Amino acid sequence: MIISMKKRKANAQEIVELEPYSSEFETLFMEHWARICRLLYRIVGDPAEAEDLALETFSRLYRHHPLPDGEFNLNGWLNRVATNLGLQSIRSFKRREHYELTAGKGVLDEAPESSPAELLAQQEEHRLARQVLAAMNERQSQLLVMRYSGIAYKDMAQALNLSPTSIGPLLLRAEREFEKRYRALTEEEE
Amino acid sequence: MNQHLTDGELRASLDDESSVSDLHHLETCAECQTRQRQLQVQSQATARKLAFLNPVAEEPVPAAKTIWIRFSRNILTKKETSMLKRWFAFPVARIGAAVVLILALVLAFPGSRAFADELLNLFRVQQVTVIPVDYTGLQQLTGNNTLGSQINDLISSSTTVTQKPGDPVAVTDADQASQLTGFTVRLPQGMTPSEINVTGATAFTFTVDRTKAQALLDEAGRSDLVLPDSIDGAKISVNIPSAVSVGYGTCPKPEADTLNNSDSRNPARDYPDCVILAEVPSPTVDAPADVNVAQLAQIGLEFTGMSSDEAAAFSNSVDWTSTLVVPIPKNAATYEQVTVDGVTGTLIQRPSNDLPQYALLWIKDGIVYAISGLGANSQQALDMANSLP
Repeated sequence: MIISMKKRKANAQEIVELEPYSSEFETLFMEHWARICRLLYRIVGDPAEAEDLALETFSRLYRHHPLPDGEFNLNGWLNRVATNLGLQSIRSFKRREHYELTAGKGVLDEAPESSPAELLAQQEEHRLARQVLAAMNERQSQLLVMRYSGIAYKDMAQALNLSPTSIGPLLLRAEREFEKRYRALTEEEE
Repeated sequence: MNQHLTDGELRASLDDESSVSDLHHLETCAECQTRQRQLQVQSQATARKLAFLNPVAEEPVPAAKTIWIRFSRNILTKKETSMLKRWFAFPVARIGAAVVLILALVLAFPGSRAFADELLNLFRVQQVTVIPVDYTGLQQLTGNNTLGSQINDLISSSTTVTQKPGDPVAVTDADQASQLTGFTVRLPQGMTPSEINVTGATAFTFTVDRTKAQALLDEAGRSDLVLPDSIDGAKISVNIPSAVSVGYGTCPKPEADTLNNSDSRNPARDYPDCVILAEVPSPTVDAPADVNVAQLAQIGLEFTGMSSDEAAAFSNSVDWTSTLVVPIPKNAATYEQVTVDGVTGTLIQRPSNDLPQYALLWIKDGIVYAISGLGANSQQALDMANSLP
């Protein structure tokens, strides 16, 4: 209640004029926006939510602006923050429920008449997978999301502050944990 | 290399992430190759389940150029919010929707004008006035950590909370709310609230430290704004009665401490049908008679970016003893006077493609009412207000 009113009040402060941002940050935004938005879309499965989360990612980046010279790993930072935001989002039961309904509806709407069962089975598998990711510990779910989003070990290591040689063992452990939880969830739902 | 590869090293090899030496060993070691194939089966099973993460196709996303505009607005809003948080980052502000709204105004334009020369001024809300404000001044201050520290210091060293409101208390109906608040709580007829929460009364005093306040203006680059000597040491007492907030639809849970909540994401998706009615008896503000509130208000308005002439004209047009002044963002919100609940109220609307909002304010029999919601259907607020018994 209080939160809501405060947010409204905060939003009521919005003005339409744009601040003269540095062209450097705008360039950075243009360069990375699509990649981060797509990463989030794949994690949460909902385009509007992904857009919001991507905006939040860049908002957080802006707070670091101007970025420190030298060692700041922009790609790693963006990957880590976006992944965390996506995982936080799918951990929210309410939101997850919403995505599942939305995604399920989308599949049915778009499915050719000949293959709805197959598409729905695939959708169900994705739903369960998101549910498992949401329930796993943060580090393991981060590893899985980054790995299966196509991020290289070197970049994963930088983003998660790990040694590149530790990625393989940690990833293997995360996959085993994922499979264990997935089996348990499947049995539970049956 | 004679030592066999570990499972972790074999897992890395499946992603072509092996070191040269590991790769060389793997090419010549049948045992490691067998184990690698076993791990591959396991990994492929996981890969299939997580295939939705794989960027095989270029999913359509909104154009960066279009989103940049939204992003700019988003950032700007947060910066203003951040600045507001600094102004209100003390416990007394953590008390409830209606109270926060009123408190903002009380603190922005503290006090009142003389009722009696020798007595304290007494401010009591009887009417509402809206003022469109350009927040240029506040925007320019964001990121100034020295100024932030000065604001925190000024508030923490000058404010004494004499009565804390405590956490919100959930009640079930208007009777219970009335008993707790001490005034007759009215609820719209024909509607079932999803929650009713009562926040306790609160009181605090603020003793003005002119030196610190002026230093704050100086740090903000507004040395041209000079606070009058007469305000130094002025003790301003604020009393805010117990308030009730009533939620309809799915609304966020009340929390005692909302100011540190950093989740600034768009609430529209989570609470699209939430409408909140807040009721609170008028707060009272006592201030020394020699405090010229109109002059302070003018300084405050100039601080936000208003020209000196405009600020003076507005400040002199307002009866500060009885007027709740609601600042709204210039060019981003509209307002109009409406007849509601048998009196004249103010309907404020913020049109927006992604998050339209409205707020309806009115005062009747000494009670300040506010209905706010998301969306463009402000008629709902008017209907609710007009159905109050």
